[in-house]
Amino acid sequence: MMPIRSVRIVILLILGLGLAACAQTPVSESPQEREKLLVDPEVQYSMEVTELIEKQLEQTDGGSLLHIQFAVKATSRAQMAWKVTWFDAQGQTVKGVGESYRNVSVLPGQTRYFSATAPHTDVVSYQIHLREPG
Amino acid sequence: MIRNTLALLTLLVLLAGCASQARYIDPAADDGPVTMTLDYRDFERAATEAVEDMLASGAVDKPGGGRYIMAISRMTNDTMQRIDTDQLVKKIRVSMLRSGKVITTTAVGLDGAEDEMSQRARELRESAEFDQSTVQQTGTLKAPELSLSGKILQRNHRAGKEQQVEYFFQLSLTDLREGLAIWEGETPIIKRGPNSSVSW
Repeated sequence: MMPIRSVRIVILLILGLGLAACAQTPVSESPQEREKLLVDPEVQYSMEVTELIEKQLEQTDGGSLLHIQFAVKATSRAQMAWKVTWFDAQGQTVKGVGESYRNVSVLPGQTRYFSATAPHTDVVSYQIHLREPG
Repeated sequence: MIRNTLALLTLLVLLAGCASQARYIDPAADDGPVTMTLDYRDFERAATEAVEDMLASGAVDKPGGGRYIMAISRMTNDTMQRIDTDQLVKKIRVSMLRSGKVITTTAVGLDGAEDEMSQRARELRESAEFDQSTVQQTGTLKAPELSLSGKILQRNHRAGKEQQVEYFFQLSLTDLREGLAIWEGETPIIKRGPNSSVSW
């Protein structure tokens, strides 16, 4: 027979755990560290990203537009789709022209260069996603 | 008899289950089949390339900052399809406006103003029914500094047992002060598919 004190402790523990489970996951207040380049394994099988460079295009109003370029070299004939998502200093996405992936083909041994320009001077970071086209 | 009816009913239910259902397509994650005609993905690609190139070229970076005022000029559809060229132009306008570099006037157009209300609102100047202090004053409309014009071309070819359809999105941005094209771009979109596919 458990003493009443032990029973109380067990009940309090269960109650505590239950409340902890109901608590909301804390929301991060600072922008998450993102990888600039995400390459799906299906794409890595036939090609590799050989470079990723970025530069700032200075504007007359004092701001600058982020411009990126990446190169892809294929080991066999390959198709991929790519897309850039742009982020401002607060980590919020900044809308570009469209949301679709851009489908491209790369010949064996060919190196292709792709570039994109940020839609606004507010953009400070980006994430490129390379995937197999549908 | 009852057995036959049951079998028929089961078949019908199965067939109904296989039928394609209407569904929403998310443009951000659309792996749908390619069509030989121009679809929204083609317009998006052409607009993306045009806007990114315009921004990267510095053509719309106004000296001293601020926004250029752009008018929409003639956009010719030289394809075998019935296309509303606004599918392309609107995307460009929206993106340029969002960029903070260019704003489009709806008060001036080749075939009249896109929004006639700018003029109609000024016709209220003579009306005693309207509080004249709220009527638009003379000399307040902004004249365009840039003009966007272009053409969408289509060429069809036979490529062996297949058909090749070539589309070209050609755009020019003209500085109206000097009449010079300060930016030009062309986006080719080439599709190859079975001869049975119809592209017009």
